[in-house]
Amino acid sequence: MRFRQSKLALEKDDSNRFLPWIIAFMVLLATLSVAGMLMLNQISNVFEHSIHDTMTVQIPAAENTIADERHANEALAALKKVGGVIASKRVPNGEVRKLLQPWLGETAGSEGLPLPQIIDVEVDRSADLTAEKLTTLLTPIMPGTTVDDHSVWLTSLVDTLRSAELIALAIVFLITLATMGTVVFTTRTGMGIHRQTIEVLHFVGAQDEFIARQFATRAFIVGLQGGIVGILLAAPILYLFDYVLKNLEEGLLPKASLDISIWISVGFIVPVVAFVAMMTARSTVLKTLKKIV
Amino acid sequence: MAEVVRFENVGLRYGLGPEVLQDITFGLEAGSFHFLIGPSGAGKSSLLRLMYLAHRQTRGLISLFGRDVSTLPREQLPKVRRRIGVMFQDFRLLPHLTAFDNVALPLRVAGVRESEIKRHVEELLVWVALENHMDMRPPTMSGGQQQRVAIARAVIARPKILYADEPTGNVDDRIAARLMHLFEELNKLGTTVIIATHNEAIVQEFGRPVLKIDGGRLRIIPQGVPLDRPSPSGLFDVEEDF
Repeated sequence: MRFRQSKLALEKDDSNRFLPWIIAFMVLLATLSVAGMLMLNQISNVFEHSIHDTMTVQIPAAENTIADERHANEALAALKKVGGVIASKRVPNGEVRKLLQPWLGETAGSEGLPLPQIIDVEVDRSADLTAEKLTTLLTPIMPGTTVDDHSVWLTSLVDTLRSAELIALAIVFLITLATMGTVVFTTRTGMGIHRQTIEVLHFVGAQDEFIARQFATRAFIVGLQGGIVGILLAAPILYLFDYVLKNLEEGLLPKASLDISIWISVGFIVPVVAFVAMMTARSTVLKTLKKIV
Repeated sequence: MAEVVRFENVGLRYGLGPEVLQDITFGLEAGSFHFLIGPSGAGKSSLLRLMYLAHRQTRGLISLFGRDVSTLPREQLPKVRRRIGVMFQDFRLLPHLTAFDNVALPLRVAGVRESEIKRHVEELLVWVALENHMDMRPPTMSGGQQQRVAIARAVIARPKILYADEPTGNVDDRIAARLMHLFEELNKLGTTVIIATHNEAIVQEFGRPVLKIDGGRLRIIPQGVPLDRPSPSGLFDVEEDF
């Protein structure tokens, strides 16, 4: 086809020169927000599904390690018989020491330090099993035994994480609004620059839709360009973030990483931004054209 | 013959300003040829803009092709505009498009097939002697060449009405005469032609009926009547029809 250029030559607009960079910046922010939101979601899910169904039994340290062993084994045996207990597992002393190390420092590694016996209990939440019932069951084995039901504090932690997710979502929404505002402004400027050309198109019988398509197509291309640049800028930041997460102190947070599903979701931002830019430009042109004959 | 243009008591004002056109009433038959004359600022361009649907009148009624366009919905205007060819004094060619693409524009917006477009545009560019300039862009063309591209664009879709605004304003007498013959040829093919001009010599030479506008009012001077003859009923005669 001989007709290579767009009817309005919008690609030559000064108003279009900065739009890809503005969109790139918006996409960078949106990408970080979306990735952050998805990771928070991942962490919340881990909390909800893996820790939510557990209770922790803590048996106070006895006078010697033999007694500690005996108490732990008796408690494990008792737990096996309780309806609603799916599994129970003793946390090795070495691991308990490791968990205490951030708070107690080198002292936690000392063999002489009396350590409580910790047992992780996986429970069926549908069964009528409470921390109080388990405490009553285990207290005869060793007075002072406590049972922590994580669901109490976990619920508020998960609620906090979900709130953070919502904030990230709100940020994405605001970024989308800002992008739309920029596209509206640029499109109106473009229409001002090409006013005479638009008039000519009208005189030769062009429908508003035809003129709007010129701007919408250009906005789509600019959206794609800006989106790709934005993603390329965001990628190293996300890699760095992923690296930090993978090397986080074990036990502080559940294991989370930028898995393939997050990368795919982030990748979708580019066509979505291009589509939003296209539809915004189209509706701006149609609305503006309605004001003239 | 059926009227293709009908104005009934049409008035036009811009914003809250005074009426630039007042009580304009006239009709143009299909296949007619008229000149539109008047001093600068008299309302020629405003009248033309109403005729090619660039503006809506403030009052009165405008019919084109027997259809009332005063109240026509916006989305139906392009269909009417496609039956009208407009040649602007400043040509209004799209500078980034080649001569071929400028001429092809009305056909492309109408959704005509590319093979058809190629055939028609090339034929027309040969007709206006621009067959060797098809790939040139307007900024690299002379004024005369641009003018011919503008004419070709105005007539490519075989309009029923052709408006030309000062087509001889920027060209010498020889080219002006050639242009006028081109318009006559189009008129012979059935196109209704209206030419807005300051050039009274051309109006006299071609001896066609004249729409004379002054102070926003229209006077119609039939073929053969001297341009400066006052109207028997006063300053302007808006009743006469063709």
